[in-house]
Amino acid sequence: MKTVAATTDDTAEHIEDGPAPAARRRGTRPLALAVSVLGELLITAGLVLGLFVVYSLWWTNVIADRKADQQGHRIRDEWAQSAPGGPGALDTKDGIGFLHVPSMRNGEVLVKKGTSTDVLNDGVAGYYTDPVKATLPTAKGTGNFALAAHRDGHGAKFHNIDKVSKGDPIVFETRDKWYVYKVYAILDETSKFNVRVLSAVPRESGVTKPGHYITLTTCTPVYTSRYRYVVWGELVRVDKVDSKRTPPRELR
Amino acid sequence: MYGWIWRHLPGNAWVKALVSTLLVLAVVYVLFQYVFPWAEPLLPFNDVTVDNQ
Repeated sequence: MKTVAATTDDTAEHIEDGPAPAARRRGTRPLALAVSVLGELLITAGLVLGLFVVYSLWWTNVIADRKADQQGHRIRDEWAQSAPGGPGALDTKDGIGFLHVPSMRNGEVLVKKGTSTDVLNDGVAGYYTDPVKATLPTAKGTGNFALAAHRDGHGAKFHNIDKVSKGDPIVFETRDKWYVYKVYAILDETSKFNVRVLSAVPRESGVTKPGHYITLTTCTPVYTSRYRYVVWGELVRVDKVDSKRTPPRELR
Repeated sequence: MYGWIWRHLPGNAWVKALVSTLLVLAVVYVLFQYVFPWAEPLLPFNDVTVDNQ
């Protein structure tokens, strides 16, 4: 039965287009056809997953770095145009300043408001507004300046957070001031629900009194979002920005 | 499947190869521009914040 059908098909194909051996490989056996289509679909799925890795770990960085560069330049321009000490220091639409962490070796990181995906995907660090409101260093009084950024992809601004050790400086640059912090505690793994790390007085870091703290959060281990990595710093001093924008000695 | 596409492309082998390349590029573009950005937030690889949810 099968042979007959195959022969008929072969003949038909043969007349339509091409030589007989090719025709026999094609469409003659439904099972073989199904297997080859399934195989090709599986190969395709593998390639798509591979492309997704390329997308997440490379392309999103390209896009995010481009965006962050644009926004960073805009802020630098705004700062250059407005006189130091004058109005405009609180204009925070494009971002409030730059974070410098020399031990992460990633240059300056633009800091913007919010930690939603939309904000962070532009290759910036965002300060928390939810679930805990971060206290900006520019604000009066004590509090915790809590930030988040991506570990991988989308600029991967906190990729090297594990290279930060106790005593390392964290410098936050605004239009008029350099805020120099010193890392005093690190939590290399915590639950993603642990919002206490963001508190105004982060007790888990060992402090008990109100102060000027900074908290960096990101995901860990790399390439996953299973846990959170937290680095705490405390304000050491505040330098005024001079006319040449000389960085504090920690950044030289 | 791919054999079927190849046979239905017009022209000789060179034209077919060129059209195939363009098709592949179009697919990669659609994936990078629309599909992956849509899929990424649904996958648990890039949540960096601590929160209550």
